Amino acid sequence: MRLSYFLSVIWCFIALSSCGEVPSSETLQLNADDQAHYAKGFYLMDRDSIQILELRDPQNGSTLHRIALVSKNTKEFHTEGFDQIIEVPIETIVATSTTHIPALEMLGKTDALVGFPNLDYISSLATRGRINDGLVQELGQNESLNIELLIQRRPDLLMTFAIDQTQNGLDKVSDAGIPIIYNGDWTEQHPLGKAEWIKVFGALFNQKHKADSIFRQIESEYVKLKDVAAGAKTQPKVISGALYKDVWYAPKGNSWAAKFIEDANGDYIWKSTQGTGSLQWNIEQILSLAQTAQFWIGPGQFTSYNQMTQSSPVYAEFPPFKRKEIYTFSKTKGPTGGLLYYELAAMRPDWVLSDLISILHPELMEQGYETNFFKPLEP
Amino acid sequence: MNAKTYLKSKLLWPLILLPLAFLVNLSLGSVYIPFGSILSGLFTDYPLEESWLFIVNDYRIPKATTAILVGGGLSVSGLLMQTLFRNPLAGPFVLGISSGASLGVAFLVLGSGLITGLSASVLTGPWAMVLASAGGSFLVLLAVVGAANKIKDPMTLLIIGLMFGSLTGAVVSVLSYFSRAEALQRFIFWSFGGLGHLSWTGILILLFCCLLGLILAIRGIKVMNAMLLGPGYAASLGVSVKQSTLLIVLSTSVLAGGITAFAGPIAFVGLAVPHLVRQIIRTPDHRIMVPASFLWGSIIMLLCDAVSQIPFSALTLPINAVTSILGAPVVIWILIKKKNLMF
Amino acid sequence: MLNVENLTIGYLSDRGQKNILADRVNFSIGQNQLTAIIGPNGAGKSTLLNTLAGQLSPLDGSISLLGHSFKNLTPSQRAKLLAIVLTKKEYSDHLSVREFVELGRFPYTNWLGKINAADQQIITRAIKATQLDSLMDQKCGMLSDGQRQRVSIARALAQDTAFILLDEPTTHLDLAHKAQTVMLLKNLSKQHNKGVIFSTHDISMALKMADNIICVTPGHVITGTPDQLTDSGVIAELFDSNVVQFDPSSRQFSILD
Repeated sequence: MRLSYFLSVIWCFIALSSCGEVPSSETLQLNADDQAHYAKGFYLMDRDSIQILELRDPQNGSTLHRIALVSKNTKEFHTEGFDQIIEVPIETIVATSTTHIPALEMLGKTDALVGFPNLDYISSLATRGRINDGLVQELGQNESLNIELLIQRRPDLLMTFAIDQTQNGLDKVSDAGIPIIYNGDWTEQHPLGKAEWIKVFGALFNQKHKADSIFRQIESEYVKLKDVAAGAKTQPKVISGALYKDVWYAPKGNSWAAKFIEDANGDYIWKSTQGTGSLQWNIEQILSLAQTAQFWIGPGQFTSYNQMTQSSPVYAEFPPFKRKEIYTFSKTKGPTGGLLYYELAAMRPDWVLSDLISILHPELMEQGYETNFFKPLEP
Repeated sequence: MNAKTYLKSKLLWPLILLPLAFLVNLSLGSVYIPFGSILSGLFTDYPLEESWLFIVNDYRIPKATTAILVGGGLSVSGLLMQTLFRNPLAGPFVLGISSGASLGVAFLVLGSGLITGLSASVLTGPWAMVLASAGGSFLVLLAVVGAANKIKDPMTLLIIGLMFGSLTGAVVSVLSYFSRAEALQRFIFWSFGGLGHLSWTGILILLFCCLLGLILAIRGIKVMNAMLLGPGYAASLGVSVKQSTLLIVLSTSVLAGGITAFAGPIAFVGLAVPHLVRQIIRTPDHRIMVPASFLWGSIIMLLCDAVSQIPFSALTLPINAVTSILGAPVVIWILIKKKNLMF
Repeated sequence: MLNVENLTIGYLSDRGQKNILADRVNFSIGQNQLTAIIGPNGAGKSTLLNTLAGQLSPLDGSISLLGHSFKNLTPSQRAKLLAIVLTKKEYSDHLSVREFVELGRFPYTNWLGKINAADQQIITRAIKATQLDSLMDQKCGMLSDGQRQRVSIARALAQDTAFILLDEPTTHLDLAHKAQTVMLLKNLSKQHNKGVIFSTHDISMALKMADNIICVTPGHVITGTPDQLTDSGVIAELFDSNVVQFDPSSRQFSILD
């Protein structure tokens, strides 16, 4: 149905970007290990014999939740000042966003997932196999979790994301003794910031070193690709987004999606718009600005040129349409229709960046490079 | 059997059925819990599987309690509106109360995006929806009471209430148009109504609202009976139209406003149950109608909630849909069969 | 006694203008009397009745009941002194006769409207007087016009007031029922000691049965006994003498061809 498609696309734009301050460049925070820290939503530190996980407000850095991660045989420690105490490593987890799945798999903890709302969204083949074997329980109930089934399943941890804390019924979940962690990866603005949340998973499964090394690998790949792109001779102009009922939705200049274009050495037409959500502009303004565009990355939910002209003839006015240089991630789906981009892009920003570089600067990538997410539109 | 005994027996039936419906509602849900276990969980100390105990005590019992208060409260307030306006089409929200609630929640959920921008830390606490909804209803109530003081004819009040409803609906439309998708989704899901997420504190507050509303309604039984004679006779008996209107409007607002704040706008029950009860009770005397409407409303709500959970599966239907889908055909059937509205 | 002093009746238009139908009206009506209000259409019969019933405010002057001025009476207090019977049917069809009549006890019952033994006695008496014994459990919607009339009267009786006002009680009834109703009203005034006041178009019957007549003509309100009004020629002048003529001896109107 069109509405749900639209909602999911717009949700993606919003959820994968976030509101907040405008960073001028990547602001780095150094933690005790002297590693670059891109994520603003969490902070991990060792203290005595325990690990402390702080979930923070990315806008002002204030601490929202302070969680103590305690191993089984830890001796006494100060329990004051913690909102939650969670025993680690955890064995079973219920996740609520497909972005949580790749982290589990990369840490070798695919088997830990015991429940998920709306199983059809999951694309990963490994997890789909477990779903088909009945090892992952469907926990969706309309827009929220089925509380009864969740309580009966009793995972070691519920990982969810808080759009708002009036999330119905979650207080009953914590009353039942199930720890809850609000994963804020969707609020991160920096592409590496989202991926860095694998460290939180690492802490929960006592796989700190593995998580660190995986992240460092992704980080170095990303930085390498960015340097390659910086050497490009041209900076093609790029547009994004699509119309919905006379209003054009596209990512704003400081959003996660726009950052990729910038790092791929593209010139995003709306890069000067402040903010990290979606801009909602009138079609006339869009048309006038977009006349110089060469590429169109992410045309809403469309998967074919035909679809676009059927929806609105105005699309044919755009230069990227005429040149047939429109690329979408909506064609890359899992076996049950879930979009791979929503699931995997957060954890593999290097694969997103390499895709974009291969589109914008094909001469910089090796021959025969196959894109992971972005595909050209069908005719 | 004289008249009084006959009528008392009409109240006996729902008094017996209510606890039965309560038990039926408790025993159905996504997780299969055998009925015997539920009974022993309630009445004995026999140790049950821990998750079952938690589900029954901390999830199903609060939900069933909410259903009783919501179903009963809305039915009584629907009855009050039908009597005040001498109109069988009236329901608890005819004065614009649920529209006011929608407006309050819309400002919170949709409008906050416009003004400050969503933040990951969330601008709202767990009581925000409740307060927004109650606040919106209260504002509309003030406007309606202000209007009620100035006009003589309840029919005019009815039109004014409908106009407030239109106005608030339009503002909500504008907010919806400019809002982001996930905010819109949250708002839409609020409008589906829900009984299952109240904390015990929330239930206590809801109970208080219902008690207050019911006390006011009971206080108004005598004048409502006089109103059955029509405004001419009622005035000649000493009934003050202004005061009675105010009393009834207050009672309805507390009931319907309080319920909407906690459970969202629940449609249909308030309008339909009084009609169903009239067919059973066969007298318009409010001394019987008020308690009977409450009891039957609770029973029906418990049953609708049990069905909306689609027992033993993870699927649920929004409660609003169930009440209408089940209820409307029943009302149609009854009215065709009996050929008489008994209004 | 129902006393009317210097009464001005009429109504206020939308713009607040006073529309006076009659002024400086003075009369007194005692209990145990049957009084008929007669007069041509539009002269103000209904307005006078509504003003006496308390549904319209007088534009000037005062009304007092048993020595209490209307202005000083709360609606509840007035309800114990004055009951009305209307022809407009605004009540619920599904009230039973019993419930309808019981509502006449409204000004006296407790907060829930409970009928105690004393109330029951008064109700029983009202039912007997109107011969409704066999219809107690019938729904009002199932009654004939005549029966409905008696139920309304029974309710007013149950209200146990000194005065009962009836708005055109005989207008929709056939001759036999008309006669029955007026007989009943006469009976109520004499044997139940009520001041019964009713408006009617049937002047002959009014002249025959009533103790007092209030004659509302455009601009004047004249009161007196039937004899007084007949002899003084007031009745003869009520209607256009080119259309109908009054015969004082038979007290009948006849149509001129």
